[in-house]
Amino acid sequence: MRIAILEDDVSQTELLSHWLQLAGHNPHAFEQGANLLRALERESFDALVLDWNVPDLSGVDVLKRVRQRLHSSVPVLFVTARNREDDVVTALREGADDYMVKPVRRLELLARLEALSRRGQHGQEQAEVLELDVYRVDCQTRTVLRNTAPVDLTAKDFDLSVLFLRNVGRLLSRGHIRETVWGPNAVVTSRTLDTHVSRIRNKLGLTPDNGWRLAAVYRYGYRLEQLDAAASQRAVQTDDHKAA
Amino acid sequence: MTPMSGRFGGDSSRDSLQPRVVMLDKEVEQLVTRFLVRKHAELDRLRAALEVSDFETIRRLGHDLKGAGEGFGFPELSILGAKFELAAPAGDTTQIAVCIASMELYLTRLQVRYA
Repeated sequence: MRIAILEDDVSQTELLSHWLQLAGHNPHAFEQGANLLRALERESFDALVLDWNVPDLSGVDVLKRVRQRLHSSVPVLFVTARNREDDVVTALREGADDYMVKPVRRLELLARLEALSRRGQHGQEQAEVLELDVYRVDCQTRTVLRNTAPVDLTAKDFDLSVLFLRNVGRLLSRGHIRETVWGPNAVVTSRTLDTHVSRIRNKLGLTPDNGWRLAAVYRYGYRLEQLDAAASQRAVQTDDHKAA
Repeated sequence: MTPMSGRFGGDSSRDSLQPRVVMLDKEVEQLVTRFLVRKHAELDRLRAALEVSDFETIRRLGHDLKGAGEGFGFPELSILGAKFELAAPAGDTTQIAVCIASMELYLTRLQVRYA
């Protein structure tokens, strides 16, 4: 998971980041709420871990803006030393999904994040076999079937396919896609990423005439959408119009 | 490692001379080393803050200590942090001074071993 942490205490940030990295997650730390909000305008995350008291905007203020202005449903876990009942109530009512009081325990933190991830993806996140429409993705054998026929994919194309099929309807930033598929330290050009996306679009038939759209969002990333029949028809007509 | 709840600050004179040995995983050595260096530095900040009755700084440092100590393997520091956090808004300079002395004693006695 790609996780944004809002925390101004260096020690706490290092500790949480260390735990998350050990568990295979990719943490991104922010000391100020404004910086996190700016990042959220151009990057997607699988979860946010928010402290309450940070220098500029409080964690609750950040949460409100995430939910109301950015209209984001990204899972949010509060990790704060505030332990009063009304603090917990406030955070949850403003849209936090869970709340932990510091000092937090490593395994509990990781388990709660995993639980949030499961809730967010309706179980698809953790499934070893993903069945969606005409696709069957087996993460153990690393195979994809489309209408029962195997689809020949490279390793990276498989990982990219899994990422999109596990996040249908969700806008994924380029940074998020790069990090998840190629790793946090890989240098991957936009052109390379676009090429891979184009390839899986073709190989998996993720096109409007098949009821799917894998579309680029300018200066942000990509979103895979499953279209209903009417939307699919409109999309095909639009594409035909553009082609003409 | 069990928390020393209720005992902190009340060590016998013999007890206070004994090293406090904490065993931690090797993988956290660098992390813990940096943490302890910061906590040593914070002792000076706490003393300076107490000198000028800057209770907000003391409260803030205590708040962070409370939140981080146990996670790093030092629950006693979390307990101390909570005490700072309570004493500071009350302007309890006596308690703050006691906590600073306790924190210094703890850090002095502390021996971290990695396995």
